[in-house]
Amino acid sequence: MVLILALLLSACSAETDSEEDGDSSATEITLGFYSSGSADEKMKDLIAQFEKEHPDIKVKTQNAPYQQFFQKLDTQIAGGNEPDVWLSDGVFVLKYAERGAARDLTKWIEKDLNKDDYYGLDFNKGPDGKYWGVPQGIQIGALFYNKDMFDAAGVDYPDDTWTWEDLKEAGAKLTIDTSGKKAGESGFDANTVKQYGLTFFNITEGWMPVLKSYGGGVLGEDLRKSIIDSPENKEAVNYIVDGMERGIFTDPADLQAFQSPMSPFPSQTAAMRIGIYARALAANETGVNYDVTVLPKGPDGKRFSPVIANSWVISNNTSDKKAKAAWEWIKYWVSEDNVQKQWAELGEAVPVKKSVANSDLFLNSGDKPQNKQAFLDSFEFAGTLDVNAVWSEWVKQMGDNLNRAFLNEASVDEALETADKEVQKVQDEFYKK
Amino acid sequence: MKSETNTLINIWTKISTKKKRKGLNSEGKWALLMISPYLLHFIVFIVFTLLASLYFSFSRYDMLSAPEWIGVENYNKLINDPIFWKSLWNTVYFTLLFVPTQTILALILAVALNQQLKGLKLYRFAHFIPVISSWTVVLYVADAIFNPRFGLANDLLVKLGLEPQKWLNDEQLVIPVLVAVAVWKGVGYMMVIFLAGLQNVPEDLYEAAEIEGAGFIGKFRHVTIPLISGTTFLVLVLSTITTFQAFEQIYVMTGNSGDITAAGGPNNASMVLMLYLFQQGFAFLKMGYASAIAWVLFIILFIITLIQVKIQKKWVHYEK
Repeated sequence: MVLILALLLSACSAETDSEEDGDSSATEITLGFYSSGSADEKMKDLIAQFEKEHPDIKVKTQNAPYQQFFQKLDTQIAGGNEPDVWLSDGVFVLKYAERGAARDLTKWIEKDLNKDDYYGLDFNKGPDGKYWGVPQGIQIGALFYNKDMFDAAGVDYPDDTWTWEDLKEAGAKLTIDTSGKKAGESGFDANTVKQYGLTFFNITEGWMPVLKSYGGGVLGEDLRKSIIDSPENKEAVNYIVDGMERGIFTDPADLQAFQSPMSPFPSQTAAMRIGIYARALAANETGVNYDVTVLPKGPDGKRFSPVIANSWVISNNTSDKKAKAAWEWIKYWVSEDNVQKQWAELGEAVPVKKSVANSDLFLNSGDKPQNKQAFLDSFEFAGTLDVNAVWSEWVKQMGDNLNRAFLNEASVDEALETADKEVQKVQDEFYKK
Repeated sequence: MKSETNTLINIWTKISTKKKRKGLNSEGKWALLMISPYLLHFIVFIVFTLLASLYFSFSRYDMLSAPEWIGVENYNKLINDPIFWKSLWNTVYFTLLFVPTQTILALILAVALNQQLKGLKLYRFAHFIPVISSWTVVLYVADAIFNPRFGLANDLLVKLGLEPQKWLNDEQLVIPVLVAVAVWKGVGYMMVIFLAGLQNVPEDLYEAAEIEGAGFIGKFRHVTIPLISGTTFLVLVLSTITTFQAFEQIYVMTGNSGDITAAGGPNNASMVLMLYLFQQGFAFLKMGYASAIAWVLFIILFIITLIQVKIQKKWVHYEK
């Protein structure tokens, strides 16, 4: 039996050895990505094109739906058999980087890419100035609004002059209960809203843009210190809680009522949403008559648009030879106009290459929303979600506490004070070591 | 899994004692060879993983970099972690609500469906449907009832002139709602086990009790209850273990679109040990801490089962 075990073990190790050295004529790399449906096919298509142009590189693929992909990836890294290059959700890049699983790409980026040609390279930069990934596509937030609902209520479409207060004022006129009363009218029942002014979900498409444009936020510049308990955040959260109490914004309990918390806008139950670029897909599918504009200003005129740069990351465990081949793939992806165009046609993300994003192909593709320029304009005041290595964990602490305030189970002061302590604890625990 | 382990240990002791006496005879060698695939599986996938998780529970381990030995720090942290205590309490609370409710309801249903009724099979079938349905299906039905906007429960409350509730978003109501759904899903299974037990009660005992002048209640108390006590014990143990492992239901019902970090709310009011373990380990990459939780969970379950087995001797009646 020991013999069998020994045989089995040696067989395993022998396999990895031969894979490592490989054939000297062609380098084989494994590429991991999360995807579904048409994106999956397009990706395989692009990989085939890449192999044709780089006969010395063979690409093996590994893909799965989002949730499974990341669960598997972490276990693969633990076992030392992760893909050589993989697609990471933008919010996870630093998670891999700061735990030593991703390769520092700073030198390669500086040598091979002209930073001015691309959107979002800096969104993967750690506080130490190193680059850990190259964006595959960019998600950036804007304000989606349902034109039919605005027309029916006789409210002017939102534009770049709006503040969050303007949004709430317009939202009140767009909020209707089951008896047809609007928010603010006497007899309006906030418990039986059938059309909301604004649907409000989670961090990216919920509280973060509001907090930031009010001058607040979660982590300071160094991404180590909580700045939650501030007067700016209080003002912002009070603004949100008031909107929820009046029935204009969806609260967490309202959202629970929908099959998916993403659905109020595409299913035409809400007149407005804060949405990243990819949300256009669902809205187009259900045929909503909508457009987008930049997100509203805070009280001091500050704007903020949330950004997630989903990125290619190279494994830190792979050999130099494979890493170089992986880099060829990344370069091919971001710099070839042809690749960028093909990917942009799917409508899943804003193209990384500026020349393609600013071309007719992206801006005037014929699909809604018409004002795609708003997404590009938003880069001027865009920022990440204070992403660091423990992002998921502090978001949970922050979200739980904010939800208590949103559901009236804690005062705003109390919620922010607790969140501040808990989020700081998460940082200290990770960064002290 | 547990019984498999037991059999394995039995076989192993038999083989090893034999060896001491007169070495392994050819029969023993054959036995060893025959079970070697399972033995191999057992060593690689059970013994090895158990030892690994024990080691991790004394380490800081984030899966992405190598584990680092930190002694009892994880266990210290566990003792001072209010969410751990809250999720332990929630698990116990869930169990205390779930196990008696399900057991009593299953027994009542089993007695009712053990009668000679017309269309009996249809009733039994109806109670068994939730058991064979996947959680996803059950949760759709549960949503039709407890949805704060469109649900039947709130409709009913409003019609009765009462305030509508937030159900899963209410810290006080979330566990009772989860228990109600879990009972609905599980009761049919336990009912069938009880039915099997009921049908093993000899008719003549009931006849004898009738001659002694016992009514329905009397027969139930003095004949049925003692004679199915073995079945009741089985149902209790099975139910307790299921609640301590409750995960999928809570993950789906309290999370947002499968977001593991959103599950367990509101304000951790539905955070149970299994969910906390999974979240710490797989969402926050604290595998060492998660391993410590797993070992504490194991010890708790082990103690509870020991207690149940001990008490069993006092009240469970087995026919000799």
